[in-house]
Amino acid sequence: MADAGNAVVIDAVTGVPAGDWRAAITESCRPLLDAGAVTDRYPARCVELIEEHGPYVVLAPGLALAHARPEDGVKQLCLASATLAEPVEFGHADNDPVDLVLAFGSPDDAQHLGLLQALAEHLLTGLADTLRQSTDREQAIRALERVAHSVEQDAGDGT
Amino acid sequence: MLTVCGVGMGSSLILRMNAEKALKALGVNAKVEHTDLSSARGMRADVIIAQGLHTEDLGGAAPVIVPISNFMDVDGLRNQLDEALRAQGWL
Repeated sequence: MADAGNAVVIDAVTGVPAGDWRAAITESCRPLLDAGAVTDRYPARCVELIEEHGPYVVLAPGLALAHARPEDGVKQLCLASATLAEPVEFGHADNDPVDLVLAFGSPDDAQHLGLLQALAEHLLTGLADTLRQSTDREQAIRALERVAHSVEQDAGDGT
Repeated sequence: MLTVCGVGMGSSLILRMNAEKALKALGVNAKVEHTDLSSARGMRADVIIAQGLHTEDLGGAAPVIVPISNFMDVDGLRNQLDEALRAQGWL
């Protein structure tokens, strides 16, 4: 297995103005687009999937996970966070409003498994609040790099 | 058991990991897979765990459907699974 941790494109934006949930999703994908990890189709697909299936990407109070499928324009495994200047409503019954959007993309159906597992672990131990409290981009990037780094450490663990 | 989301890649995977933690805490040995909404309908699972907003869509796709709103609340998930499995006499 390739060491997924090394290949992850990571970036973050903080205090992003977003007028509505569509803008919030688009802004969370922008650093990935700028890095060339996804094509410009990707943010549009992330928005379309929510239009199609509802705001299921709002996983927890205040937190959304923007993502689409590998064939929607992912070139490299990637993860970004966007903290919003003002929270937005996604129309989720319990978890609105959202002030933190994570975006990830995987180039196939397997490469993201370790990263998402690490992300889930870190979200259970305070990652969302660490990102919310990150006043600058570098701080947020460091928090996301710790997630990617823990994938490298777990590689070969198989669980 | 299935955890389900719109795409079957991200949200459902995170939900699967936390569902596995909750099941372990309950001492339930279950196979959990994650998938998308349309695939879930044909997979004949015993239990489907999904966002509350999807449970109507999934009606009839499994004998037990557990609606979740906070994917990160492992304790809440454990309580919901405990109740749902007991109601079936599976626990």
